Amino acid sequence: MSLIKLEDVHKSYYLSNGEEIPVLRGVNMEIKKNEFVAIMGESGGGKTTLMNILGCLHPLSSGKYIFEDADIGYVQDDFTLAYIRNRKMGFIFQQFNLISKLSALKNVALPAFYAGIKVEQRERDAAKLLKSIGLEDRIYHKPSELSGGQQQRVSIARALINDPEIILADEPTGALDSETGKEIMNLFSEFRDRGKTVIIITHDPKVAKMAERIIFMKDGQILDENYKLPNS
Amino acid sequence: MFNLEIVSMAWQALIANKARTLLSMLGIIIGVSTVIAVVSIGAGAKAKVEEQFKNLSVTSLIVFPSRGAGNSKLSVDDLNTVLNESKFVNEGNATISGNSTIAFGKETQSGTILGVTENFLDIANLEISEGRDFTLEDNKNRAKVIILGKTLAENLFEDSTLALNKTVKINNRQFAIIGVLKENGSSSFGTSYDDSAYAPFETAQQNILGKNAQVRLVFLAREVELMELAEEEVTTILRETHKIREGKDDDFKVRDPGSMVASATETSDTLSFLLVAIASIVLIVSGIGIMNVMFVTVAERTKEIGVLKAIGAKQKDILTQFLLESVILSISGGILGILLGISIIPFLKDYGAMQSLNGVLLGFTFSVFVGILFGFYPALKASKLDPVDALRSE
Repeated sequence: MSLIKLEDVHKSYYLSNGEEIPVLRGVNMEIKKNEFVAIMGESGGGKTTLMNILGCLHPLSSGKYIFEDADIGYVQDDFTLAYIRNRKMGFIFQQFNLISKLSALKNVALPAFYAGIKVEQRERDAAKLLKSIGLEDRIYHKPSELSGGQQQRVSIARALINDPEIILADEPTGALDSETGKEIMNLFSEFRDRGKTVIIITHDPKVAKMAERIIFMKDGQILDENYKLPNS
Repeated sequence: MFNLEIVSMAWQALIANKARTLLSMLGIIIGVSTVIAVVSIGAGAKAKVEEQFKNLSVTSLIVFPSRGAGNSKLSVDDLNTVLNESKFVNEGNATISGNSTIAFGKETQSGTILGVTENFLDIANLEISEGRDFTLEDNKNRAKVIILGKTLAENLFEDSTLALNKTVKINNRQFAIIGVLKENGSSSFGTSYDDSAYAPFETAQQNILGKNAQVRLVFLAREVELMELAEEEVTTILRETHKIREGKDDDFKVRDPGSMVASATETSDTLSFLLVAIASIVLIVSGIGIMNVMFVTVAERTKEIGVLKAIGAKQKDILTQFLLESVILSISGGILGILLGISIIPFLKDYGAMQSLNGVLLGFTFSVFVGILFGFYPALKASKLDPVDALRSE
């Protein structure tokens, strides 16, 4: 059953002089529930824009974005958008993007705060999650007191706290060494094994190889929905 | 979504930048403490005016000789003339005053002696605490009776309740004390009511102060609205009685103390208003400072705002968070300003400053208001940021 379906999605930016810069030029793709997908492609090919559209951070210029059988490509309502981002999606960034003045625990609990969960409950859940990824002795540390790998694990815990359907990770291992990157990828595999869906953007073939399927993008279009890495 | 968590987040954001927070608070601190100091000076000035004039009826007119007492024809007879002829005045009294020595045994006190007609106490709003008021007969018979002000009675007898029915000596004549006044606290023409002694008009003129003592008349108009008419009328009647020809100056002066109160109150109100206006300008300027700081804060944390939106923060959540930061900033400044304001009031005692709850409330309200007013626009801008643009910023 398909979780995500994009039909002829276009997305353009406009410069201040009114000039149109097309970034996505007719993207068609389908991602099934419980898939682990990597998106590869050259820089400037539209990967991040695609990810932002999947994460409901952007409306489409044209086309259709079906998520769980609902067309959500043009939702404007702030409440609905915030709800989808908060409960359905878990966002992970290359630069971790933790809130620097909050402890690991508070960072992880933050999306649950926006979901209206009471403080005792959400901090209990956050502590449990941090424990499950081996950071139980770091829960009161600020991001600046954690290594890159630890920070990325905290941000994964933050993405998971509201038990989303799907993880959207933009270059999650890009700032980490390959060993740490592998640990992060293992966390994604565990999440997938619980029946959830993972979509990551990566440049690194070794990382991409750990996904089940690779989508290859070029010039704002999907070049290959089932890309095979050349044997090396 | 207002709860303690979001308050503590806002607080943490503020203490992360202590120097900036403190500097932007400074305007509020100065503004609020100025408001408090100013309002307390205003309250003190007002209380002083009220204290000074509290025994004054707003309908009263005071008439006194304008030149030396010898040349003025103003006399106690004018009292009845005016009362008989006037349409706008319905009550009045006459007083003469002078200084004398009052002795009880070996105890002597010098004080003001007022010779008063029988309804003086009523018109001056004075009350008897022990004994009785004067009667018409006292005046007619030139009875040697006297009523003492509270302080004077205490000075002579230690306990004012012991004064009643005792005899005191004034000008070597014996006077029986028939009454003691309640403590009053105010004064008239520089003489405290509590320090004075009161005798029937005729008695005082005959036996204590002499024929040449200055006579002062007080009239009460029927209505406050008739004050101006009454003043004109009393002037006309007195000019006729004194046979003053057209073009010649009056030999008396008529004063309307009610309007003096009004103008004194008005002056102190105007002063307070002016000072509060200046303090308000300080607060508005400090509000602009807060707005500036909030814009910088929003700009610095653009990326954070993008992240918060990506993990599910609503516009309302972002708005609340930044608005709370500016409100906490200004309320903290307001509280420090209140503490500073209260602690400088004792140093302003010379200017009549008086602790006033109004100043504290005004200062506090103002600081909350400034925080909301000047924090709203930056917070609104933060909440409307496009998440993708915000995430892309560094």
